Formats: sequence, structure tokens, C-alpha cells
Amino acid sequence: MVNAERHEYPSYDALLDDYIERGWTDGLPVVPPSPEKVEQFLEAAGLNSDEVLGAVPTREVVVTAEHAAINAVMAGCRPEYMPVVVAAIRAHLHEKANCHSTTGTLSGASQIVIVNGPIRRELEINCEGACFGPGWRANATIGRALRLVIRNVCRAIPGFLDRASFSSPLRYSFCFGENEEASDWAPLHVERGHSADQSTATVHSTMTFVPCVDFTSRGPEEVCESWLGMLRRYGVFTDRFLGDGQNLVLVVGPEHQRYFLEAGWTKDDIRQHLWPRFQNPGPGDRPVMLGSPEGLLIVAAGGPGMAETWFMFPHLAWAITEPIQSIHTETGRR
Amino acid sequence: MRDAIELEWAGVPSVAIIHQAVKGSAESMAKLSGVPGYDFILVDYPWIPTAIWSEEEIQLLAKQVAPVILSRLTA
Repeated sequence: MVNAERHEYPSYDALLDDYIERGWTDGLPVVPPSPEKVEQFLEAAGLNSDEVLGAVPTREVVVTAEHAAINAVMAGCRPEYMPVVVAAIRAHLHEKANCHSTTGTLSGASQIVIVNGPIRRELEINCEGACFGPGWRANATIGRALRLVIRNVCRAIPGFLDRASFSSPLRYSFCFGENEEASDWAPLHVERGHSADQSTATVHSTMTFVPCVDFTSRGPEEVCESWLGMLRRYGVFTDRFLGDGQNLVLVVGPEHQRYFLEAGWTKDDIRQHLWPRFQNPGPGDRPVMLGSPEGLLIVAAGGPGMAETWFMFPHLAWAITEPIQSIHTETGRR
Repeated sequence: MRDAIELEWAGVPSVAIIHQAVKGSAESMAKLSGVPGYDFILVDYPWIPTAIWSEEEIQLLAKQVAPVILSRLTA
């Protein structure tokens, strides 16, 4: 049963004007969250409307499954995306995801959803060419659903609790999958303790999202040296609340990945090579304040062509991985 | 802002010092916390970001703000 207050409109245009006037959208049109659709989404996730997904204590906010379903409908999701949206919300609301800070900050940090496991292929979540950009419904709407929850439920509204000086286009939506089939590298979720057939959503709040483009390196050590140049330039910072749990995410494109694979380097080999080099910053270098080599998260994604690796420097938060609780739905998907 | 409010709830007299850039958030937070009129001291960066303030710059702001803090705590 849907508990939200009902509003009725004579037309879609009237609904949209009112939603935008009330500040219920990111500025883009939304799908009307009719009670029937919201029920359908709750059913797809196997959740009751009042199931609590998490809270933001500093904002007096409790996020329920109904909140998630309403905003997932509005974002344009299909019902079968709902378990991914739920997992992403749970991850975002984990204490160490530090959501009050990462969504209110002057820096305009963005929340990135990384999907692993079989559900990527089932939902057609793009993890290959152009996976960071527009064109894929699952990528576009799952990331948007999380951001609408952050706005409409968690009150991170520009001028209210969102005080970003510039904010970021990444805040409209940012979701992609790891290309697990591209290599025998252990996928992100397996490295974080999940089985390969358990789908997961990892949410990482990033303040700086930049590529390391390097066409000239011809081996794993050289690529690592390029990466170190970027790391020393931007640095990774932490504080007492986060302790040793800070994460840095590197998304490695096929051209760079090839050098590691040809040389037989695993993700852990990369970490062990980089870790001692994080410890002794030179004059003018910024520190890379990760608590352990495992704080460096390596993800394979993207399409061929550009020799690049993307860096997702953290805002003050851990990257949190949550299992996706899939159920059978009427569509036959899991 | 919320830290100061929670300290007050715990019985510790507190003063929040808020930068101009987050004034709206502070007011919103006070409202959300059920104390819409909770007072705070508004400051602005007289110079560039805090991380590279000189000792003299820190002292100057402290001298400006300290009397106001004391008067709030002892009011």
C-alpha cells in the first residue's frame, strides 16, 4: 500500500509544472509516480512500502522503500531496476558513506554507482564503450533515481542543504557496470568478499573525476608511473571519522588494461606495485592517504581507442558495496 | 550547526560559527532540527581559504569573533 500524499492533475504538463515548481525534480521531466506504478516497483523489489532502507540522522530523515520506488519511477526506471536502486540507496546511507557531508559539500561531490555481477547483463547496464555517458536506460535512470532520493527525500536541494559552489553535471546521474568479461581480473565485488554470482552496487562519492590519458607507455610499470603522476598531483585526503577506510577508484580502459594482462598482472599486483610509492611523497607531492593497499579499488570498463584510465578521487567517504537482493518478477528477470 | 545543536541538547552551551557560504544550510539545519531561531555567528573569509591562512590572519579573526562567542556563552 502506498502511503504518500496524493496529488491529481488534469494533464501531464500540469503535473510537470507543479513538480518543478515544488522542487521535486532535477530540472528534467519526470515520469508520474502513480500509485499503481509505485506498487509495481515495490513488488519488483519484494519490499513493503514502509521498509526502512536507511537514515540521515543529522537531517531527521528516514528513507523507506516507498520513497525509493516513487523516485525510481520518476527517474524513468523499469521495475526490474528497483533492486539495484535499493542497494545503491542502502550503500549511500551507510554511516561511512558520510552522506550528509558528500551531498551538502561546497565541493559538489557526486555519487557514482558501480554495478557488478550477473544483473549488469540482465538489465543491460553498459560497462563498455561510452559507459559513463548517455544512451543506456539502465545507466541513466538508476543513477538518476539515487540522485532524486538524495534531493527529494534526503533534502540535498541547492540553496537548502546542498551548498555546492558550482555543483557538477555528474549529479544528474552516474551509473555504470564493471566489464567483468574483459579479463580474468577478479571483479570489484569479488575482491570485496562477495561471490561472483552475487550482484552488487557500489556507491563512491567523488570530488574529482579526471582521466589519465597516456598513449606512450608500453608496459605495466610505465602506466603505473603515469598514474602516480596524477595521484601525486591531486592526492587523497582523509579525516579521523573515516580512519583507514578511504577509497580511491581507478577505472581502467582496455588499452591500459591490455598491458597489465599481457604481463600477467592482477589487480592486487597493481596495488602491491603502487602501495610503497604512495608512502614517500616527494617535495610538492600531495599525500595519498589510503589506510591499506585494499583502499585502492580497480575497475575494468570502457571501450577501445583512447589509452586512458579514469580517476575517481574520493570526497570524504568510503566506497560502500551492497548486495542486490533480486527476486523473480513478472518479466521473468531476476 | 548540527553539532552545536546536539551539544546543546546534551546540556553543553555551544556557539556555532558559520561561514557566509553555508549560511542557508545552517538556517535549514536549525529548522530541520526543530530550533528554527537557533542563533549563530556569521563569519566570512577575509582572505583566501583557511588552509593557507597566516598566523596573523587567524589571530585577527579570532580577536573579532572571541568577544561575541563569550557574550553568547555567558548570556
